[in-house]
Amino acid sequence: MIGVELRKLFRRPRTWVTIAVLNALPVLVAVLVQLTDLAPRPGEGPPFLSAVLTNGALFPLAALAIVLPLFLPIAVAVVAGDAVAGEAQAGTLRYLLVRPAGRTRLLVAKLVAVIAFVLATVLVVAGVGYVVGTTLFDAQPVGGGTSVSGTSLTQQELAGRSLMAIGYVTVSMLGVAAFGLFFSTLTDSPLAAALGALAVLVTSSLLFTLDAASPIAPYLPTRYWLAFVDLFRDPILWRDVVRGLALQGVYVGVLLAAAWANFTTKDVTS
Amino acid sequence: MAARGYGATPRWAAVGLLVALLVALPSVVAALPADDADVPAADLRAAVLASADVGFSGYAVSAGGLALPVSDRLTAVADLFSDRTLVRVWWRGPEEHRVDVVTAAGETGVHRDPGGTWTWDFEAATATRGSPASLALPSPPDLLPAALGRRLLSEAAEDELSRAGARRVAGRDALGLRVVPADAASSVGRVDVWVDPASGLPLQVEVFAEDADLPALDTRFLDLDLAVPPADVVAFTPPPDATVLPAPDTEELIAQAEERAPDVSLPDELAGLPRRTFAGVPDAVGVYGRGVTLLAAAPLPGRLAGGLREALTASPDAVTDELGTRVAAGPLGLMLVTPPDGPAYVLTGTVTLDALADAARRLPGAAS
Repeated sequence: MIGVELRKLFRRPRTWVTIAVLNALPVLVAVLVQLTDLAPRPGEGPPFLSAVLTNGALFPLAALAIVLPLFLPIAVAVVAGDAVAGEAQAGTLRYLLVRPAGRTRLLVAKLVAVIAFVLATVLVVAGVGYVVGTTLFDAQPVGGGTSVSGTSLTQQELAGRSLMAIGYVTVSMLGVAAFGLFFSTLTDSPLAAALGALAVLVTSSLLFTLDAASPIAPYLPTRYWLAFVDLFRDPILWRDVVRGLALQGVYVGVLLAAAWANFTTKDVTS
Repeated sequence: MAARGYGATPRWAAVGLLVALLVALPSVVAALPADDADVPAADLRAAVLASADVGFSGYAVSAGGLALPVSDRLTAVADLFSDRTLVRVWWRGPEEHRVDVVTAAGETGVHRDPGGTWTWDFEAATATRGSPASLALPSPPDLLPAALGRRLLSEAAEDELSRAGARRVAGRDALGLRVVPADAASSVGRVDVWVDPASGLPLQVEVFAEDADLPALDTRFLDLDLAVPPADVVAFTPPPDATVLPAPDTEELIAQAEERAPDVSLPDELAGLPRRTFAGVPDAVGVYGRGVTLLAAAPLPGRLAGGLREALTASPDAVTDELGTRVAAGPLGLMLVTPPDGPAYVLTGTVTLDALADAARRLPGAAS
């Protein structure tokens, strides 16, 4: 059933259009920075972008930081929101459920498909970022790079930490995916489900900037998103990374349980 | 097909139980009581003062609510006292440590070695070499609970100290030590220092203004590891592509400032606080008081006085009368004294606004 869902997702043209659009923004930023030679001033703009002019191999991270706050979660919310509600809207959900596989397995298969989409998207953004970064900017293939703390990282260390960052960004999107999937079981409209997940994200991002909301900040789904920067400190600052992983785990667990409680007892008519 | 609602109640109940459990977990952990121990206040203070050589590494947060009315030249200092600052620290000793201020997209690390400091700024890709100065602006290392706790307790008198229970800080049982300053002029209501009894390290320091329920400054460890960190984590070598800068020569700056400062002789006592001398403090600057009650007075060249007046009067709480303009930010008072004849003065310290006015009257040339 998981294989069926994966094939369905990746055979759709719109999946690939979404990934292409996601890549357009970092590429545009790279071209503009290269043409004008104007990187954002240190401390402003997305993380790592100001360092890209001296080391193009850092552009995959800058590209991820560019799409992470808005573009990537929108794409994930749309795909996850479509998972169940899309079938309901197309009138195919009840045929899907006639198969003896069961609703719980269908939910898990949908979640796995969304996770696969997130991973593919993040990998493509990082890969395109690497190609664009090393083509447009000077890369430092011999010396590796400099960590955020000012120590030297070998090429292997930099690659290893970049891979960890890609994994971390993927996990960070699971919370959004779980919200989208849960809302998708509540409604027959994929648009409503995607907008619901986005509403949660906007609320979370807004509350995170408010000092008055600091007591609940550790529980906001977007709280630890930027913690992938901590992987490039030396020694690595694991605290927020570990908390980010645990928090996403809790959100996925709770929302999947809620989606399961709702979906397995729902009267499916379309 | 199941009918709507069939089996729904037990499933939703299970989900509700899971959510309730997860929501309750943090408060249950936070409510775990801390073990108090019967350690007298004087012994606890002695342990704190002896803790400068204790090696540790950790992660600390300092949060200040002090909106300092300063000009845009001192924004770094103002941010330090008004924002949340996250700090990583590796401490091998007073002359060998590393303190990194961690921000969302970068960090600024201060690496101290016996010969001086390296300051690394990731976002500007600069490394600055400085020498230890006798007089310097407050910097993030000064706000570490361990450093601040030692500083605030160093001059506390026995009768100002009391014990204040225990609480859990950074996963450890910390014993409370309270300082209530005895000086009438003091604007600090109390200082609570929470100490790890085994190592003597202060784990949290809270400074309360007079009659305040919330601390004006709260600095505490979030994580603490009581093992001496390896030397190679503390040491620093500038990366090859970084710009290396020499630090501004503070001794030279101070000497220049002293030359330009109006020639006045400051009284031996202000606001009931006796004058004292520190190495490196120019004669034109008078420092008064002891412990957490300190007052500094200095004459100002006219050009600086105008800028300070603008900054002070911009504050809605500023009080202006024939003595000058004064304003309080939490327990910190700041006053620009403008006597009818003679130079202007700046007064600042942890004293009340009344004490500032009293001090202003006693300055040479002041309106009485």
